[in-house]
Amino acid sequence: MVTSKVTLGAARGAGGLPGRRTLAGPLTSAGVVVGVGVVVMALFAQAYVGSVFVLALTYAIVTAGMAVQIGFSQQVAFSQSVFMGLGAYGVAVLNTRLGMPSLLAALLVTLGSGVVALLLGAIVSRASGLALAVATITFPFIAVGFVSSASYLGGNIGMPLTGSLWPSASSTATAVGNGFITVAVAGIAVFVATRVLSSDIGLELYVLGVDEGMAMANGVSTAKRRLELFVLGSMFAALGGAVYAGTQLFVPATLVDATTELSLLMMLFVGGRRSVLGAVFGAFTIQYVSGQSNFVSVNILIVEGVLITVVLLVEPEGLAGIGMSLVRWVRRSVPALAARSAASATGAAAGGAVGGAATGAAPARAGNAAPALERSAAPGLQGADGDGPAAMTDGSWDAGQAAPDFRAAWQGRQAPQGAQAPQGAQAPPGGAGPAASMLLECAGIGKDYGALRVLDDVSLTLPDRGIFGLCGPNGAGKSTLLNIIGGSVAPSDGTVLYGGADMARLPPQERFRRGVSRTFQAVHLIAGRTVLDNVAVACLDSHRSSLATGIVRNRLNEARDKAMTALEYLGMRGVSGTDVSSLTLEGQRMVELARAIASKPRLLLLDEPASGLSETQRERLKQMLRAVGELTSVLLVEHDLGLVAATAEKIFVLASGRLVFAGGPEGFRNSEVVNSLLVGL
Amino acid sequence: MKFGNLLIAGLITGSIYAAFAVCIAVWYRVSNILNLAVGDFAMIGALGVDNLMRVKHWPLGAAVAATVGTVAATAYVYDRVVLRLAQDGRRRQEGIVITFFFTFALSFFIDGVAKVLFGTDVHAAPPLWSGNSLTFASGLHVARAGILVLAFAAIVGALFTLYIRYTLSGKAIEACGENYLGARIVGIDNRKYRRIIFVVTAILAAVFGILESPITGYTFSSGATISFTGFIAAAYGGFQKPGRAAVAGVAIGVLEALLGGYVSGQHADTLLYAILAALVLIRPSAMGLETAVGG
Repeated sequence: MVTSKVTLGAARGAGGLPGRRTLAGPLTSAGVVVGVGVVVMALFAQAYVGSVFVLALTYAIVTAGMAVQIGFSQQVAFSQSVFMGLGAYGVAVLNTRLGMPSLLAALLVTLGSGVVALLLGAIVSRASGLALAVATITFPFIAVGFVSSASYLGGNIGMPLTGSLWPSASSTATAVGNGFITVAVAGIAVFVATRVLSSDIGLELYVLGVDEGMAMANGVSTAKRRLELFVLGSMFAALGGAVYAGTQLFVPATLVDATTELSLLMMLFVGGRRSVLGAVFGAFTIQYVSGQSNFVSVNILIVEGVLITVVLLVEPEGLAGIGMSLVRWVRRSVPALAARSAASATGAAAGGAVGGAATGAAPARAGNAAPALERSAAPGLQGADGDGPAAMTDGSWDAGQAAPDFRAAWQGRQAPQGAQAPQGAQAPPGGAGPAASMLLECAGIGKDYGALRVLDDVSLTLPDRGIFGLCGPNGAGKSTLLNIIGGSVAPSDGTVLYGGADMARLPPQERFRRGVSRTFQAVHLIAGRTVLDNVAVACLDSHRSSLATGIVRNRLNEARDKAMTALEYLGMRGVSGTDVSSLTLEGQRMVELARAIASKPRLLLLDEPASGLSETQRERLKQMLRAVGELTSVLLVEHDLGLVAATAEKIFVLASGRLVFAGGPEGFRNSEVVNSLLVGL
Repeated sequence: MKFGNLLIAGLITGSIYAAFAVCIAVWYRVSNILNLAVGDFAMIGALGVDNLMRVKHWPLGAAVAATVGTVAATAYVYDRVVLRLAQDGRRRQEGIVITFFFTFALSFFIDGVAKVLFGTDVHAAPPLWSGNSLTFASGLHVARAGILVLAFAAIVGALFTLYIRYTLSGKAIEACGENYLGARIVGIDNRKYRRIIFVVTAILAAVFGILESPITGYTFSSGATISFTGFIAAAYGGFQKPGRAAVAGVAIGVLEALLGGYVSGQHADTLLYAILAALVLIRPSAMGLETAVGG
């Protein structure tokens, strides 16, 4: 308990927050593309290399959008070639039939295709996952059918243009002009895509891609985001198509067909699906490979087949992933070497040197403290070496010591939005609200799965402070009840009142925004992202903003700041920069808990937080729960009856979907029903 | 009689779709991978037999045995090398990469090899039951190859159904698809099932290709189209239910034939694809393709 203060202070001093310059990454990415492009154009605009480069860059505009839509957010829609065709044919028609300059036509067509994408997307984006892939896989075939029978588009062959993006009498000027326009457009595309991905909305998209249920439970408007992603991907594709038409001066009918779609997907996955620069690089790789020697172009299918297989076997994140691993390896080995030499010279602990060297890097590593949560410190998960946060190592935890600001802010949190209770009825900080306004009132809840009735006439009410246990044998309906309160499952009968207002029709994301937060029975975290980012998912203010605002504004650091206070409150600051996949089970459960409380919820739904934890770890959890229960209402689903009896002020027991017990811990211990059902006495 | 003939043509095409859909669905059930190379195995079957007989003058039996054997060996090696590295290693790949892209790459590879071996012309294996179409008194025409296809599809469908319903290993297959780790924990070797089913469906696809090619004719790139229709039909079965996938396959075949016969030969395919896309979008959740909300 005494060490707690000391180590917390040390942790606070050691780590800086992630890089503040949010524009740096996107500008660097765009700068790389533009820089390389300008050099290549200046040197080879008229040479063969130059023409291949421009064509590859055209595809790269499309794949940059795909990296956001398909790679990062995992919305697999096979609609790119269709929108590329829309862009290209649109420019061709405006240019050839109406005599409009190609550049202006490209702009108009891109905007127009945004409208088309919005209309089509309103239908298409209702589907997600495999359904989206199935619904859109026919699009290229429909487009081919349409184009080949449309004689004014040139039918099976295609359509020529009369003027390029940069019309000029001299062919050199045209080639250079077209090249620079393409480079500029690609630069903008890369900037926009990278900027969106690195923003707070990018984190939303990442979660949406990994786990839609988790995204909803953390406030993400998944349907809106899916539509925006479809529009974004489609507009990038149309822009690429427009540039294609304006630089190649001919739109082949094959541009809309499935082979184009497959090539684009190949570029994306070989390059690296989650990386915009990777997707650009993929476009160059595939374009370069197919333009190579005679042998390769004749056997292009074999080469591409082997290339995809090998790249994805080595690294699912493609060439970009391979590149990143190399960079990480260099970064890790260089400071480690420096630290080792420093340590051998002075005999001092190397930890400080490592921490100091890593501070400049994006995630705060804070000297890699808190070994107890990290898998690398395996021998005895509680392994207390004294330099981790005491909260995790000495078997005790004191909320009073940690992050008083967070606690105070939570305590002062307003009543749920949309609650019918008048302002005056709010609970004063620290005190209990008027008995009349219960926070949660479930009445007559029933749930049928076909003929199976898993919940039957369950009613319970929770006030706005305290811990409430929900127990029952497996299959009793505990998780279903939790899902009904959380909004991921709709009840067949009954009402759920929250703050006096009916919540029945609210989706999970709305409930989250009104202060309902939950954890899942199985750990649901985003592997590959830091602890801090995992917790920041619950601290985003971007849910109501449109995707486009991600281009101009990045509030990810604000979310990370909030997340950090929650981590501090739980004494976990030291692991904030660690990848969640390297944490022990306790660590991962603690991150889930941190994420669940980071939004300072009014109602906290915990689904078996103690499962898989050791006795000591449960002891710590108990203390945390008690502290949290003073601030908010906790519904705790748990099999550890001791833990429930020790923390909960009231316990509900479900059996075969019916509420068979509701009462305090004393009654719970002595209840015959409970003992026969859960203890086997 | 137009309707009758269209219906028969549709049933035959539909049974082909159904057969490939079943192959895709059965394997997806064990592996959670979509076999987008299933059509390429069929193409190898058809063009391999044709090539061995026409160019190398092998007898039919030897050509069929050699081709089917090659397909089986290819599938086995692919599973042993590529899928093992992708799935059984320390870093088990999941999600869209493994679901789509590995077999997609295999499809490219097979097409590329076939282009080198068989050229780009349309060929077909010789009909196993030669002769003109059977003509019935009522004016119905049925191609003999079509009857073979229908019969083989029905037999394979029935065997798969019986296998999954009534045998222990059929149940085990179901378990693999439900929960990878859970199945492993109770002692089901999903890797073995993944391999066996992959090889078996590859062989079946090759045999289908041999039987069916006299009707449609194949080129080195025909496989993708077959995989595509199989994929769509399997999708309507939610990728998990071979029975539903088979029904969907037959229905798509019949619909295609009727659209071609009554609406427009030129736009039949476009219309068919539009209808198929619309059917998914009317109720995306109906097919059970979206991953359930965790918890």
